[in-house]
Amino acid sequence: MSTVLQSLSTELADAVESAGRAVVAIHARRRIPASGVHWRAGVVVATHHTINRDDNITVTLPDGTTAPATLAGRDPSTDLAVLKLAAQNLSTATLRSDTPPTVGELVIALGRPGPSVTASWGVVSRVDGPWRTWHGAEIDSLLRLDVAIYDGFSGGPLIDAAGRVLGINTSALARGVPVTIPVATVERVVTELLERGSIRRAYLGIGTQPVRVPASLARKVELKSDVALLIVSLESGGPADRDGLLLGDVLLELDGTPVSDPTDVLAQLGGDRVGRPIAARVIRGGQVKTLQVTPGERPTSRAA
Amino acid sequence: MTAAPGVTAGFAQEIAAVVEQLRHITVQVRTRRAATGAGILWNTGEPEGSGLVITNAHVVPGNQATIELGDGSVARARVVARDPKRDLAALEVELEPARTTAAAVVRDSPLHVGELVIAIGHPGGFVGAATLGIVHADESARDGRTPRWVRADVRLAPGFSGGPLADAAGRLVGVNTMIQGSLALAVPAAAVAAWVRRPRALVAS
Repeated sequence: MSTVLQSLSTELADAVESAGRAVVAIHARRRIPASGVHWRAGVVVATHHTINRDDNITVTLPDGTTAPATLAGRDPSTDLAVLKLAAQNLSTATLRSDTPPTVGELVIALGRPGPSVTASWGVVSRVDGPWRTWHGAEIDSLLRLDVAIYDGFSGGPLIDAAGRVLGINTSALARGVPVTIPVATVERVVTELLERGSIRRAYLGIGTQPVRVPASLARKVELKSDVALLIVSLESGGPADRDGLLLGDVLLELDGTPVSDPTDVLAQLGGDRVGRPIAARVIRGGQVKTLQVTPGERPTSRAA
Repeated sequence: MTAAPGVTAGFAQEIAAVVEQLRHITVQVRTRRAATGAGILWNTGEPEGSGLVITNAHVVPGNQATIELGDGSVARARVVARDPKRDLAALEVELEPARTTAAAVVRDSPLHVGELVIAIGHPGGFVGAATLGIVHADESARDGRTPRWVRADVRLAPGFSGGPLADAAGRLVGVNTMIQGSLALAVPAAAVAAWVRRPRALVAS
């Protein structure tokens, strides 16, 4: 008889069964519910974009019962949200944080967009280093999947063939293409959201656009790169405005690091920068100037 | 985490064997104009009598069809039952008595989410194509009633309609009927078996 085939089939079903015991349905939007993972005792991780209200959130547990949950915090930049749950006998997810996923590895995306668990399978199609979401959050590694996605799958776990969780799936970080937020990032965000209720990020209140610096000027001011950032918008009364940056300034460096792309600015604006002056080197009227700017704390869901 | 040598090769061989076995119970259904889909050889009528082929109602719009078996032999078939609501049709087919073709074996134990399933069909006229996937959702979990669909994460195309969805042992779990986004919807084999057993069902409409 076909032993390998049937063993594989049984093992996949077992992996779904065991990992599914920590997957819940989250009712926080109209139409179909989304998924969440019971990450630590009493703590459920879900996706920010599937939680449309802050109150009146309920969770369907694997045994079919419904329990109320409270929103502990959300982070639009990683699309993660954390809920607290007074759960009694709910298993927590088994996390795989020692060995990273590899390209070609067999994986299953689990969800619970209703009373029962759902699964689709495929392989990890791409693994890469850290990347930055368009809201500026750093994700520890890029995980792309060759897995079919379906309604309500966001917030569910990506598991390996042994049922261990590799991360949280979301369709909201890459134009509908599914990506997995790895365990390390989820751990970091969960810890901070439980402590503070939000993820602290610094901001300057500027909008920038890459521009080429004329070669003659670049030579004159000894630039390393010939691309810099033109300040095209300035939030009135924001940190940059207050500290004297002007529309039309061309930003060359922040804290000694050249900036040639808006994400380079985001990279300089971690939560620890709030309230600490940094040196901004700009070209203004053909002259290079250095100003001290003090980033403020970014209000929720605002860009750099 | 290195697997024993030859696991993948064994997997490939076994899957080829199950697909071959399933091709024997998968037929092509043709109406006057063209090939319209697949069908399942439900029973061969052995030792005597006519064989029965199950397919989707939308695969056979009329009352007549031509069946081509997995071995290439062709037979005429007559629709003896139709249920547009379930999208099922039963066809009576005169098989040559000498042919000992295997018929479908229905799985009677419940399905589990995540287990492997194999679909056979004829997409774009390509006869006997196979795709591999897993069970996506278990609907029987809901208040013990016969589920309407088996939902599978398996990539289907037009031409799979009416063909078998089977488990890793080659037992029939459903009749592939619809594609919903990236999911396949199949009429559960148990529901088909119940439908075939009902005496009323086998009256031509």
